[in-house]
Order: sequence, then structure tokens, then C-alpha cells
Amino acid sequence: MSKHHLHLSVNGQAQSLEVPSRRLLCDLIRDDLNLTGTKRGCETGTCGACSVLVEGEVVKSCLSLAVQADGCDIMTIEGMAADGEPHPLQQCFMDLGGLQCGYCTPGFLMTSFALLKNNPKPTESEVRAGLSGNLCRCTGYTQIVESVMAAAEKMRGN
Amino acid sequence: MREFDYLEPASVEEASRMLAEAGDACRVIAGGTALLLAMRQRMATPAQVVSLAKLDRLRGIDFDAHQGLRIGALSKHSDVERSPLVQEHFPMLASMAGRVANPQVRNQGTLGGNLCYADPATDPPGCLMALGASVVLGSARGERVLPIADFLVDYYTTALEADELLLEIIVPPQADGSVGLYSRFRRTTAEHRPLVNFSVTTHRRGQVCEQALLVVGASTPIPTRAARAEEFLAGKTVTADIAAQAADMVAADIEPLSDPRGTAEYRRDMVRVVARRAIADLFGLSTD
Repeated sequence: MSKHHLHLSVNGQAQSLEVPSRRLLCDLIRDDLNLTGTKRGCETGTCGACSVLVEGEVVKSCLSLAVQADGCDIMTIEGMAADGEPHPLQQCFMDLGGLQCGYCTPGFLMTSFALLKNNPKPTESEVRAGLSGNLCRCTGYTQIVESVMAAAEKMRGN
Repeated sequence: MREFDYLEPASVEEASRMLAEAGDACRVIAGGTALLLAMRQRMATPAQVVSLAKLDRLRGIDFDAHQGLRIGALSKHSDVERSPLVQEHFPMLASMAGRVANPQVRNQGTLGGNLCYADPATDPPGCLMALGASVVLGSARGERVLPIADFLVDYYTTALEADELLLEIIVPPQADGSVGLYSRFRRTTAEHRPLVNFSVTTHRRGQVCEQALLVVGASTPIPTRAARAEEFLAGKTVTADIAAQAADMVAADIEPLSDPRGTAEYRRDMVRVVARRAIADLFGLSTD
């Protein structure tokens, strides 16, 4: 089995490490870098709990080999809050009850972050379509969608 | 997931030689969204995984009024969805690409990988067939061009030789007055794979259909042209009743898959519905 020396940037920090070819990106993030905010859920690309940003676009880190991310800029949930202040998305999820057990929340936040980056003023149906790759078994989604809509408004300065 | 060597060839020729040497022991990885699932379930246990990431020949989306659209095989579904060239010249293709799987998979999965995997329950192949697309295959022996209908052979089977790669997808320029629509049905909105899809391109003069190209996908092992319905529509003034008759022919003429996601008869019924609505929509008719 081949080993690979990877250089990547995670939440703005340069990382350099050796991994076996079969290491998944989610395992590199959790087990090699100890960034356990990213969750392993279904591990079959269905639930989206492992969503992270690679080169600014949201992907499922259980569907990617770590070696595929060599040279890439990665953002995980640990990189979302700035200066110790929750990101507006995080604050809105808290304020509006966009979570219950919380296991899916990092994935929802990462996907929502990418969604609002690409579309700062989404309609409710665009939010629902944008979150269609993430599963939540607690909330029934209503408050998650409301949280994202509220965060979008807050981020637009309203 | 079993252990494997991960190889990163720097040219199509080098990749082709690696594939030829390794034979069945090797699999090609592009985005990896489908391959990694198969490997983790040990449905695929390659000793070598050949990455295409360093092959710039397989990147980019370009348009030329004479040649048409060239989509590098490594283009992600989201690249196709967001490309201004695709949106301008082939809105049907951009709309289809924006519906593949879910946002994360669209950012990872590639159009070339999707076609080479040849899973029937997906969006792109039927849409590309209705647009008259071809694929360019390359190896150390040279390149060849195949219409998409010849590239897709059967359930998870393509015409790729052991040493060949899919380099790019070519979509010819569409004639003036040509309009198209990609439509699909999922059993529930939470499903990411279509149970049925239907792609139609027509030359339209007012309500008259001068020529139509109709393709059923996701419900047959490979997308299927609906030749009888195409002939029926040619030259007709399309009304709701004509659309329904054409849809009946489309549904009658396919041999649907039958599996846990849907029985053959259910799929046939849904093909009829989706085809009728798509043809009616394209001619601005009410679908009620």
C-alpha cells in the first residue's frame, strides 16, 4: 500500500503529514488532526454529517480520499467562528433551535456556509434544495431552514 | 476498505500504460464519489487506483460555434451547472447538472466518472444522448470518438477498452429553433437518484414539431431512444392529446428495469407520466 506525504491547509493552518492511500479525508481530519467537530455518520455519502469545505466548496469527506485533498485548502467547523465569536449561522442555529441532538449540526453549518457564500439571498426552497445532501433525524428541518434564512438576513446586514 | 496503491500518472499515455499493465486489478478514480462507496463495500477491491487528477487534458469547458461544447471529463457536475457557456448554449444540460445527486456530490463527482460508471439510475447519460453528444476516448494507441449511444453498452458497462480513458464529452451545436427539456421523477424528494428520466429535444415551429429526439433514462439499463414516438411526432401540431399519445408509445416501447427501487410496471407508468408532461411543457401546453 502506497503512502503519501500531503501538504494542505486546514482552517488556515499549514499541515504536513504522511497518510496511507486508503485514509479517508474524514479520518484524516478527525484522527490525524484531532478535529472531531466533523462527524462520521453513515459513512456512505448519504447523511452529510462529514461535510467540509475543500477549496471553498462543500463536499462529503467520507467520499474522498485524503490523498485527493493534497495541496487543498480545507475548512472544517472548527474554522467557522472568528475571534471567539460564533458565526451568524452558528448563532442563528442556537437562537432559533436549528438543532436538537446536534450530531448533524456541523455538517448542516458547513453546507449552509457554502450555500450562503454562493447565494447570499436564497429563497426558502433554494435553502431546502441546498441542504438536500444533509440529513437530520431530530428537527424535521423547519427550524434549520429558518435558522439559515435568518443568518442570511443577518449576514446581509439587516 | 482494502489496501491499494494510489498512482498519479502525469499524462494520458502514462495512465493508459498503467491501466494496460494492471488490467482488472486496477480502477480509475476521478471524483471518487461512486468508486469509494464500491470499494468500502468491497464490491470493488482494486490493488491499484489510478488518479486522473494530474491530467490537464481532461479539464475545462469550452464552446465553439462550429464544434459545439467540449466538456473535459474531470469537470464536476457543479462546473457544468455553473458554466456560463453551458447555461447560454445548452440550458437543458445546465439544468440537468444542477439536479444530479446533492450539492456535495455535485462538487466532487465528475461528468466523466458518471458516464464511465454507467449506473443507470442517474441523470446525465439520457440528457446527453438527447443532445446528440459524443465522447472522446484516449489511450497510448491514440484517440477515438464514439456517440454516447455506442459508448454505453449495458448495466454498468461501457465500450471503454482496458487501456482507455474518457477524455472529454462533445455536444454538437444545436440547430436554430431547437429547444430541449430534461425531466425526471424521483419516488420521494429525499431520493437523490431518479427512478425515471426523460429528455427531449425538438425543432419547433410554433406548435408544430418538425423533428423530435426522445430519450428515456434511469428506467432502462442504458438510455433508450423512443423511435416510434419520434416518428409519430414529426410534422404534427402538438396538442395535449398528441403529447399523451406520444407518451403512451414511449412507455409501451421500453423494457423497464425491475428492482427494489421500482417494479417494471411502476416505472412504465411513471415514464408515461413524465414523458407526457415533458412534451406538453416543451410546447407550452397545460399538463393538467
